[in-house]
Amino acid sequence: MIGLSIIFFSAIIILFTGIQKPEKKSKNLTVFSLLVAALFSLFENLEVINTQTLFAWVPSSMLDFNNFRLSMVALVLFLSAIIIGLMPSSEKKGSDLLGLTLFALCGGIIMLGSNHLVMLFLGIEILSIPLYVLAGSDKKNLFANEAAIKYFLMGAFSTAIFLLGCAFIYGGTGTLIFGEMQLKVGFAAHFGEFPILIKLGVILMSVGMLFKISAVPFHFWSPDVYEGSPNRVTSFMAIIVKICGFVAFAQLMSNFEPMHSWYIKWLIPISGITILLGNIAGMVQKSVKRTLAYSSIAHAGYLILFLLIPYAENAQILFVYSLSYGLSTSVMFYLIDKYSTADNFDFTIFKGIFNSNKLDAMALILAVLSLAGIPATIGFTAKYVLFSKAFEYNQWAVVIGLVGSAISIVYYFKPFKYAFVNENLLTNRESSLFTNILLVLAMLSIVVFGLIPGIIL
Amino acid sequence: MLGIFQNIEISHYIYLSCVLFCIGLFGVLFRRNAIILLMCIELMLNSVNLLMAAFTEYMGDQNANGQMFVFFIMVVAAAEAAVGLAILVMVYRNTKKTDVSFLDGLKD
Repeated sequence: MIGLSIIFFSAIIILFTGIQKPEKKSKNLTVFSLLVAALFSLFENLEVINTQTLFAWVPSSMLDFNNFRLSMVALVLFLSAIIIGLMPSSEKKGSDLLGLTLFALCGGIIMLGSNHLVMLFLGIEILSIPLYVLAGSDKKNLFANEAAIKYFLMGAFSTAIFLLGCAFIYGGTGTLIFGEMQLKVGFAAHFGEFPILIKLGVILMSVGMLFKISAVPFHFWSPDVYEGSPNRVTSFMAIIVKICGFVAFAQLMSNFEPMHSWYIKWLIPISGITILLGNIAGMVQKSVKRTLAYSSIAHAGYLILFLLIPYAENAQILFVYSLSYGLSTSVMFYLIDKYSTADNFDFTIFKGIFNSNKLDAMALILAVLSLAGIPATIGFTAKYVLFSKAFEYNQWAVVIGLVGSAISIVYYFKPFKYAFVNENLLTNRESSLFTNILLVLAMLSIVVFGLIPGIIL
Repeated sequence: MLGIFQNIEISHYIYLSCVLFCIGLFGVLFRRNAIILLMCIELMLNSVNLLMAAFTEYMGDQNANGQMFVFFIMVVAAAEAAVGLAILVMVYRNTKKTDVSFLDGLKD
């Protein structure tokens, strides 16, 4: 809760004091406020500070931040600090774009803490609407325009489907509050068959949320949008939107747990197709950004596997998985942004990176190993805990997940073909000290949590 | 006047909203003009509004939760339309078209 307030006020300050200033001047303030908010959320989680009385006016039937949600909030804030801190800021654009990013983040936090369908809906919209603007922030670029309009149309379309699901759930259970909904569904479970309104509502809401996290067959927009948007926005979309969207989806589905065996029947095939199609389509891509888009689709498939596991047991592993995915993807996007040029997004941008810049080469190696799930990185820890837990509930889903991971190595290791060539880089830019410190921090977290998983498990 | 609305069965409201929703859905899927797509999305949202209001009345919800939801949907739909039209204006300046058929620049 305190994290949300800090981010909200700093967003207002950055938006209104920064319209005239170039982005560069507000970047440090943004990253600083994100880190402070993450730290305070962590303190709130560990009960170092007591905010119960401060936020007593917020009804807990609307927004309720329990321990798991607070740790997710801290994680999301930390990841956005890394995303924004790693990306270079332009001299020309105003810092209102940073303000908008923070407002989008507010929406993400509201999604994480929502306890009411209205709050969930508002969170989704507060997250999405600034992102429609940000996706098209490169006004003269036709690809960015295309990405913006595609993202807008698909976002609004999926919201409408989600809302129809909400209406059916409201008609079926008579309430919008998660806790009461759970009671009603549990009550219906005693009579055997569930009302058709509830079933339809669950399907429609799932379709809306699956659109947001870009699971197959609702993924067709995401490679185009990810490729066309500016790099920082793509990174934000691939990480924050996916994590917040999925956690909100898991919390929503946890209210329909009596119907678990029914919704698993169609969610498991979706997860399997998402993993296989994301990884196979990733293999044939030429552009790095598009490959990462397909990789993030495949990761959405792994995330859906969490729904196999009863909600009470998966809090910890969901946290670890999100941390691993977020850290490695943000490092990859940083490297893409640093070495790509406007017309070259091939894998050749990494040619000779080991020769020219040892730190970035190390970051590339770690990020790739972690995404592929090789031991001694956090990616392995995350995949191991997920697969071993899900194996208790459905063996075949885990087998498909393992096959998908094996396929993914083909494209994750493509940069290595060029990284160790004894040449100099095509484009070499210097990073600031601050960026390098954040990069080292991200690299350290990838290695340390991989070698000593006991810290976060 | 109020009585007429209360005498209509809830199932009719559900069918009507589903029909309206499907008209919007197929409009989004098959029309090419971006402004018409926006109108279709608005139609989908408004069919949800109708359904929410009907359910509230039907269940006699004392807190009128559904009708409160309708106001939120209206506000968000307005904000969304504002941003969507702004994006359309930006696209129109670059391409001189409001047709979505230009959406094929990004490919595998």
